[in-house]
Amino acid sequence: MLRGVLDLCLLAVVVDEPAYGYEMTRRLRERGLSIVGEGSIYPLLGRLERDGLVATHRAASDGGPPRKYYSASPSGKRALTEGVLAWRDVRGEVDSVLATIEAAVTG
Amino acid sequence: MTPYVEECRREWKRLGVPDLLADEMATDLEADLAEAEADGVSAAEIVGESDPRRFAAAWASERGLVSEPPPQKKSRKGLWIGLAVAFVFLVFAGCSSLALITIGTSGSGGGSVAVLRPSARPVKAMTVPNLVGMTVCKAELSAHNLGLIVHAPDGPCDAVVVTQKPRAGAVVRGDTAATSVVTLRVRQPGG
Repeated sequence: MLRGVLDLCLLAVVVDEPAYGYEMTRRLRERGLSIVGEGSIYPLLGRLERDGLVATHRAASDGGPPRKYYSASPSGKRALTEGVLAWRDVRGEVDSVLATIEAAVTG
Repeated sequence: MTPYVEECRREWKRLGVPDLLADEMATDLEADLAEAEADGVSAAEIVGESDPRRFAAAWASERGLVSEPPPQKKSRKGLWIGLAVAFVFLVFAGCSSLALITIGTSGSGGGSVAVLRPSARPVKAMTVPNLVGMTVCKAELSAHNLGLIVHAPDGPCDAVVVTQKPRAGAVVRGDTAATSVVTLRVRQPGG
């Protein structure tokens, strides 16, 4: 279900503050999003990096080994803005399609 | 290193991912899995894939480090064809005492039993980019994306390339590993 928007969510959790891979998973969980069954974030991060939507640097982590930190690049921030607008459109359209079913289910 | 990460590392090596990048990915994955375990988060939530080879191939592929993920299940059709060719060759040549080994899984090999896999790399002239001044990881990635193979000393990602061979602008044949290697010398950070 999340596959189409997980990259958007990844950009969203590093737009303000860089994070390393697991830290991003943790931020998603803190915001209520579990990615169990949705695949791994690493291939998505690889694609975001390849497409220049995230910038990376290595830095020491708290009490652990140096980590690769990801942050949204200027292109990534633009993609995020456009993605959020597109998502809102899609969400609204899907909501209106499902509204009748939802009414019947919760009825 | 956990068996899962070790298997990933082997797969990256097999796929030709530059060592520095493979080491970086393995190190990060290992640290992330350890931290997840300490948090009580399952490894499945981190890697999402029980097969390390598929996971490793997907990551490297999406990152642009390999052209495409390898096939997961090799067809045995080519092997049987190779064996059949070997058998026919044996019968017609009357070499009943000759011990033969078939190599590879595709192609007919004519009258030979050694079936050699042709190079997957097309003959292509490539212009070597200027990598001097880049961090070694960025240089490896840039060169790799062009189909070049990079030899660089082991060390941290932020070592800086000081010389390269062939020089920038040289045209190389990118058809074999031997003709598409760029060797880098680097300056270690703080050095």
